[in-house]
Amino acid sequence: MAEVLLKAISKRLGSNQVIDSLSLDIKNGEFVTLLGPSGCGKTTLLRMIAGLEAIDKGDLVVGGRRYNDIPSQHRKLAMVFQSYALFPHMTVAQNIRFGLTINKTPAETISRKLAWALDLLRLAGLDDRMPRHLSGGQRQRVALARALVLDPEVLLLDEPLSNLDAALRETAMEELKRIHHQVGTTILYVTHNQVEAMTMSERIAILNAGRLEQFDTPRVVYDAPATRFAASFIGSPAMNFLDGTIEVREEDAGVDTALGFIKLDKDRFGRAQQMTGRKVTVGIRPQNIAYAEHHESKRYSDTTLRVSVELVETLGDRSLVVSRGENGAVLRFLITRDIEIEPQEMIEVFLDGRRVHLFDPQTNSNVFVS
Amino acid sequence: MRIGSFAAESTKKALWAASIVIAVLFIVAPLYLLFKYAISDSASINTGGAPIPLWPFHPTFRSFTYLFSDSQFYGVIFNSLIIASCTVGMSMLLGVPAAYVLGRFRVPGRRALLLGLISVRLFPDIASVIPITEFLIKLRLQNTYTGVIFAHTLLALPYVIFIGMSAFESIPGDLEQQARVMGAGGFSIFFRVLFPLALPGLAAAAIYTFLLSWDEFIFAYFILGLGKISTLTLFLKQKLAYAPPQNLLAAISVLLSLPVIVFSLLLQKYMTAGITAGSVK
Amino acid sequence: MTEVWPNPKHTRIHEVWPLIPAAVYLVGFLVIVGVYLLGLSLSFEKGGTTVFPSMRAVGAVFSNPEFGHALVRTTLFVLAGTPLELAAGLFLALILYQNFLFRNVVRGLFLIPLAIPALVTATLLFILFDYPGGHVNIFLLGKYGFFPAILHTPVNWRGSAFFALGISMLGKVWRDMPISMLILLSGLSAIDPELFDAARTMGAGLRARIWRVVLPLLIPSISAVVLLRSIEMWKEFIFPFILAGKYDLLGTLIESLYNDWGNSNAAAVVALVLVLCIMVTTFLFLSIMEILRRTLVKI
Repeated sequence: MAEVLLKAISKRLGSNQVIDSLSLDIKNGEFVTLLGPSGCGKTTLLRMIAGLEAIDKGDLVVGGRRYNDIPSQHRKLAMVFQSYALFPHMTVAQNIRFGLTINKTPAETISRKLAWALDLLRLAGLDDRMPRHLSGGQRQRVALARALVLDPEVLLLDEPLSNLDAALRETAMEELKRIHHQVGTTILYVTHNQVEAMTMSERIAILNAGRLEQFDTPRVVYDAPATRFAASFIGSPAMNFLDGTIEVREEDAGVDTALGFIKLDKDRFGRAQQMTGRKVTVGIRPQNIAYAEHHESKRYSDTTLRVSVELVETLGDRSLVVSRGENGAVLRFLITRDIEIEPQEMIEVFLDGRRVHLFDPQTNSNVFVS
Repeated sequence: MRIGSFAAESTKKALWAASIVIAVLFIVAPLYLLFKYAISDSASINTGGAPIPLWPFHPTFRSFTYLFSDSQFYGVIFNSLIIASCTVGMSMLLGVPAAYVLGRFRVPGRRALLLGLISVRLFPDIASVIPITEFLIKLRLQNTYTGVIFAHTLLALPYVIFIGMSAFESIPGDLEQQARVMGAGGFSIFFRVLFPLALPGLAAAAIYTFLLSWDEFIFAYFILGLGKISTLTLFLKQKLAYAPPQNLLAAISVLLSLPVIVFSLLLQKYMTAGITAGSVK
Repeated sequence: MTEVWPNPKHTRIHEVWPLIPAAVYLVGFLVIVGVYLLGLSLSFEKGGTTVFPSMRAVGAVFSNPEFGHALVRTTLFVLAGTPLELAAGLFLALILYQNFLFRNVVRGLFLIPLAIPALVTATLLFILFDYPGGHVNIFLLGKYGFFPAILHTPVNWRGSAFFALGISMLGKVWRDMPISMLILLSGLSAIDPELFDAARTMGAGLRARIWRVVLPLLIPSISAVVLLRSIEMWKEFIFPFILAGKYDLLGTLIESLYNDWGNSNAAAVVALVLVLCIMVTTFLFLSIMEILRRTLVKI
C-alpha cells in the first residue's frame, strides 16, 4: 500500500500535448478512478505510472520514492489490462504465478499465495485451464489474481470491465469493492464509464484533453461539479445547459435564459447579485426538474417554466421527456412511468433552485466553486 | 520495439540503425558487385596482382555486345524463351481448369488432392530428376524441347493450381449468381465473368511459371546437358567450367536475372492499382 | 471468405473433368518417381544387360567411401546451415518488427535475394571468392583502405572442403533468408504487444520477457523455419555444384554418379538415401519440438 503523488506531470506525443501539467495526490489505500472520454489521456497517465510510457516533465512519487527513472519491472506496481493480456501459452496457475516466479520467490510462498488468490477471486478448480478455454469474466478474474498476488503498492486497472456484458459488470464491480476492502491496496482505476466511477471510487479524477477537471468524492462531483465538462460527464441522462445572463428580479437572483427566468436559491442571492449582468451557462440535471402536475413536485417550486413536449422515451421504470421552450431551447427531464404525457402538449415544469449550476462560458468553471 | 523498455532509448536506436545498415549492405553489396563486374573492362579484372577496383577503370558494355555478337548466344536466349513460353502455355492449359474447379466447387477429395500437390513439390528436385530423365529417355525425349517443357510443366503445375485456385476462390459468389440470373450459361460465365476477374491472379501464376522455367537449371542440365539444345542457364554453367573472364560471367548472370527485375517492377505498379474493387456492388 | 460454392449439392463428372490432368499428373509423378527410383536402385547394369532385382547397386554405393564422405558432409551441412538460416531470418525479422519510415522499402529490399536465380548467386560467389585475387580475399587482406587486414595470405576458398562448402552454405543462406524472415516476422507480429507490457509490470526484465514470453510463442514459427530449411539443406544442389565441385554432398554425388559415371543405379540409390534422410530428419525434429514445447512452458 502506498500513496501516489503526481506533480505537474506532462507528456507530449508529436504535436499533441497528451497530458498537461497534471497533479494528483492519491492517499494510501484509496480507490481512485481516472474518468474521462476516449482520448483524454487517462490510459496514457496510467501507463506512465506503470512505467510503460516515459514522463516528459513533472514528478511521480509512489510511497515516498521518485519513480520517474525507475524501469517498470522495478516498480512495485501491478496492472490489469483492458484485454487482460493473459499469457496464452500458460495455464491459469502459471499465469498467476508468473510474477512470483520471475522474482525468485520460494516455492512454498508461491503455492500459498496462489491458493489465496484462487480463493479470493473464486477461481478454484480452474488452475490447469488454458486462457482460451475461459469465459470473459473468468479471464478478468485471472488477470486480477495475477496482479494481486504480487502484493503491489498500487494496483492499476485499465478499463477492466469494458469487455463484460452489463450483468457481469455489476457483479464484477461488487467484487472489486469487496476485494478492495479485504486487501486494502491503493487502487487506480481507469474508465470512461461514469457509473463504474461513481459506484466504486472513493474519489474521482475527471480528465479532459490531458487536463484535470475535478478531483473529489463522487458525491461532491455530482452535486458540485467544478467545471461544465465535469457536470456534463457525470450523471445520466446528461445535464441540461442553457445560456443566459445573471439578473435580479424582485427578490430573486437568477438567470435570464431562452426558456425563461431561472431562479437561484436564496442562499446564493448575495453572491449572484454581485455578478449581475454576467453571462453564464446554466446547468441543471434532468433529475432536478419536475413535472408540475405531479403532486410530489410541490417541493421544487422555485422556477416554473412552460415547455412543449417533443417526445417521450421509455427508460424502464422512468421515462425521459424531451421538451422545447418557445424559443427553441431544449430541456430534458424525467417522469415516473405512471404519468402520461403526450407529444405536443404544453406543460409546466418546476426547477429546483438549489440544484442550478452556473458556469462561466469562457473558462467553463463553476461560478460558485473556487 | 515493444519487447524492450523505454529507457536507454538512444543506444537502442543506434544499435538498431546499425543493424539496418549492415543488413542492407549485406544484401545490396553483392548485387552491386555483380553489376560492377558486368560493366567492367578487362583491365579492371586482370589487374596483375593489384587489388580489383570497386568501380571499373573504364566502365563498358563490351561484355554485353560480345555476347550479342555471338550467334550461339542468340540461339540460347531463343531456346530459353521458347521453353519458358511453352511451359507457361502447357501449365496454364492443364492448371487453370483444375484451379477453376477446385476454387469454385466442392469436390470430394479436394483436400487429398491439394495435399498431394504440396508433397510433390516437397520432394527433392535432385532426387526426382533421375526418374523423370530416365522416363524421358524411354520416350526418346531427351535432348528435345518437348522433354524439357514436359519437365518444367511438372514443376510448375502445383503452383499454377494453387495460385489460380486462390484467384478463383476470391471472386464473390454473388457475381456468378447474378450472371446466371441474367441468363448466362456455364462457359459464358467462365469466359466473361470469372476469367477476367481471376486474371490478375492467373497472370501472377503465369509470370511465376515463366520465371521458374527461365531460371531452371537442374532438369535442363540432366535432360539437355549432353545435346545440342542449350538454355541460358546451361550456357552460364558451360562458361563457368572453362576459367572464363568474370565480366562475361557477370553479364550473362545479369541477363539471366533480367526477367525477374522487369516483372518485379511491373508487378509493383500493378499491385498499387485496385483489382476487383468496383465490380461487386 | 465469401460464398465460394454456388453448386454445393452435387458434382457431376462433366463438371469435374478439368481436374483430370491434375490428377493424372499427381498420380503419374508419384508412379514414375517411385517406380524408377526403386527399380533403378534394385537393379544392376552390367555390360548392357540389366539384372533385377539385385542389391549389388546398393552394396556398391554403401561400400564406396565417397558416399560415406558425402553423407557426413551433408549432415554437417544441414546441422550448420539450419541454425545459420534461422539466425539470419530472425535478424531480419527483428529489424522489420519495428515500425519505421521506409519500412516497406526495406522490406522489399530484404526480399530481393529470393528473386535472384540460384545459379546467378552461385556464379556471383564464384567470382567474389576467387583465389587469389577475388574481392573477398582482397578485402580481408586489408587492401581496401577502410578495412583492417585480417589475413596475411589469401584463402583458397574453393580449395578445401571446409571453405568450399562454407561458401556454398553462405550462398544458400543469403538466397533463402527472406523466407525464414517472412515466417518469423508473421510469428512475431502475431504476439499481442500487451503481453510484453504485462510481463514488465510484473517484474520481468528483458531476458525474462524473451525467454518466457517471446520464445514460447514464437516456437511454432521457429519450428516451421527449422524444419523447412533443414529439408532445403539436405536437397541443396546448385551451390555446391558450382562452388564445391570436388567435395560432394548427397545432391552433387547423385549428379556425379549419373552424368560422369553413367551409373543410374547408384544415383538412384543415393537419391533414395536422400529422401530417407529427409524423412528421418522430419520425424526426429517433430519429436524434439514436442519435448521442447513442454519444457519451455514449465513455470
